[in-house]
Amino acid sequence: MRQIFYLVQKEFRQIFRDFSMVRILFVVPLIQIFILGNAITTDVKNIKVIFQDQDKTPYSREFISKFVHSKYFIITGFEEDYTRLSSYLDSGKASLAIIIPRHFQRDIVLQKKPDIQLLVDGVDGNSAGVSLGYITDIVQKYQERLMEYSPELSLQVKNVRRIEMEPRFWFNPNLESKLYIVPGIIALILLIITLFLTSMGIVREKEIGTLEQLMVTPIRSYQLVIGKIIPFSILGMLEIMISMGFVYLIFGIGVKGSLLLLLFESSIFIISTLGLGIFISTISDTQQQALFVAWFFMIFSILLSGFFIPIANMPPVIQHITRLNPLRYYIVILREIYLKGTSIKDLIPETLSMVTFSTCLFLAAVIRFRKKLG
Amino acid sequence: MMLPIISIKNFSKSFGGTKAVASLDLEVEKGELFGLIGPDGAGKTTTIRTLVTLISPDSGEIFVNNLDVKKDVRKIRSITGYMPQRFSLYPDLSVNQNLVFFANLFDVPKREIAERKKRLFQFSNLEPFAGRLAGQLSGGMKQKLALSCTLIHNPVVLILDEPTTGVDPVSRNEFWTILKELKKEGVTILVSTPYMDEAVKCDRVAIMHEGMVLARGKPETMTASFQNRIYKLAGQDLIKHINSIALIPGILSVQSFGDSLHLTLPDNQAKENIRGKIKNILGRSFQMEPVEPSLEDLFIALIEGKSRNGN
Repeated sequence: MRQIFYLVQKEFRQIFRDFSMVRILFVVPLIQIFILGNAITTDVKNIKVIFQDQDKTPYSREFISKFVHSKYFIITGFEEDYTRLSSYLDSGKASLAIIIPRHFQRDIVLQKKPDIQLLVDGVDGNSAGVSLGYITDIVQKYQERLMEYSPELSLQVKNVRRIEMEPRFWFNPNLESKLYIVPGIIALILLIITLFLTSMGIVREKEIGTLEQLMVTPIRSYQLVIGKIIPFSILGMLEIMISMGFVYLIFGIGVKGSLLLLLFESSIFIISTLGLGIFISTISDTQQQALFVAWFFMIFSILLSGFFIPIANMPPVIQHITRLNPLRYYIVILREIYLKGTSIKDLIPETLSMVTFSTCLFLAAVIRFRKKLG
Repeated sequence: MMLPIISIKNFSKSFGGTKAVASLDLEVEKGELFGLIGPDGAGKTTTIRTLVTLISPDSGEIFVNNLDVKKDVRKIRSITGYMPQRFSLYPDLSVNQNLVFFANLFDVPKREIAERKKRLFQFSNLEPFAGRLAGQLSGGMKQKLALSCTLIHNPVVLILDEPTTGVDPVSRNEFWTILKELKKEGVTILVSTPYMDEAVKCDRVAIMHEGMVLARGKPETMTASFQNRIYKLAGQDLIKHINSIALIPGILSVQSFGDSLHLTLPDNQAKENIRGKIKNILGRSFQMEPVEPSLEDLFIALIEGKSRNGN
């Protein structure tokens, strides 16, 4: 027991000897939360539109004015020549081209069905889909407005039984992606800091040779592991509290649920990242190798966590693989507690899965570490 | 049964397909300063790392102070001091913090730490630098600090793996003076070194090559029992002709020592004959005098003989 204390003491001395460490602990989360929280957004905004108005009538102009007033669109201009429209999409000057046909107004008045042509840049399929949704919305509003022009028509429509939807978004009423992204970023920061610190911390001792020196002392390998883990878990917990503080200061997003529960779940998650860190240290001889391997695991766990890509959209085989990823559960738990204030009762399946995988990963890593030393 | 303090019998160890040590026998008596000499790759480090329980032997019986390296791992670790080849203390901790850290890991009682530190500072002269970070010490001072850390728990056996490699000559000398002091205090020391001048300072040495001990004994008696004759050649442009000289029949080996050459001959009989042949090659006069064989001559002769037999 005494030995573990001295190991932990030594570790903290080394960590705080170096000012860069303190910088990493405070400045990295600040920058990440501030920049990523604002940058990573699934909201589609500022869609650049090029118009071709072949009709040039009050009706067509009113249609266009709907886009002017929408906060989602930026009108880049009007192009008379149909053949040159594609060059706007090619060069990226516009991601959407809208062509209003000749006789647009006449067709509406005569109650024929005019067709509006849309050319959409489909490279970013997600954004293309979302912008199409916005346009459909605008077209619908436009049509409602047209009805006001002909009282008899609107009277007719009133008699038709139309279903109207009144959506109400819970937990995130304005559908701000910030609210969704920011808890995820906290999870990422925790993953990165603890994973990299642990693997690099152990490999560094291997590199400078002090691990060999430690191994010839009578301390047992489990004491060595615990001596490494305690400081890094304390740093991890410190890190998550710092991050939550920044999130509150910058975005005004506070934890809806129990802070204690959040810290408890975080400590379970940290066990998995520490385990992974120890595992990486057993397969790397230099800090460079450790860095690369940690990077490899980090990318996998982030992309397969549902942070960027919803897991439900993945092929079934990959979906099963994501079940092995503790980050997957942790991000869900963090969002639930942060945004909904969910209690432990409703988080039991995620918590159990995380406990299972975290302990398995951790034990496997520690056993491997001990074998390597023995 | 009382074994010598270090007893190695029939020890073998391979890494992958490469045999690092092949059926090695070695004994070190209590209080001895024992040198393990050999070129890189001779198996010195493998032997040492096995003694300090860092790697386990493939076969053989190895005891340190009557403790089995396979069974009594922790006991051996608490009575041995081990200094690995590379300087391996925490560069970002101070001299004092390093010493106290290792004292704590070895369970040195708190009240004794200060006293032991004082004693270690006496011979290492590191006291004025106690607050300095270990990474900012000079090479020689680092070495002394590493030695101090391995001595903090008063080990019975001190095992050093090439402690002076890469250290300046003055610090090397100082380091050996410290080792002699320790020996006087009764510590058994096993030290490996590639330097022949250091080997001479040992009580006994074993010459290792390709995982085997080629010769062992006291340095003086080993050179005295050397049967070959060594002649020193002195003259101009000798090095240029080293290859043609080596081809003269009857010469076992030729080694350059600075400007001069050392010839190894099996006996005195062919001496005059060879002198004539060398004169033909050089085309001018030169000196050829018998010299006392050094440990280095012995070492080279042994290794050359070994590889000749091997081929």
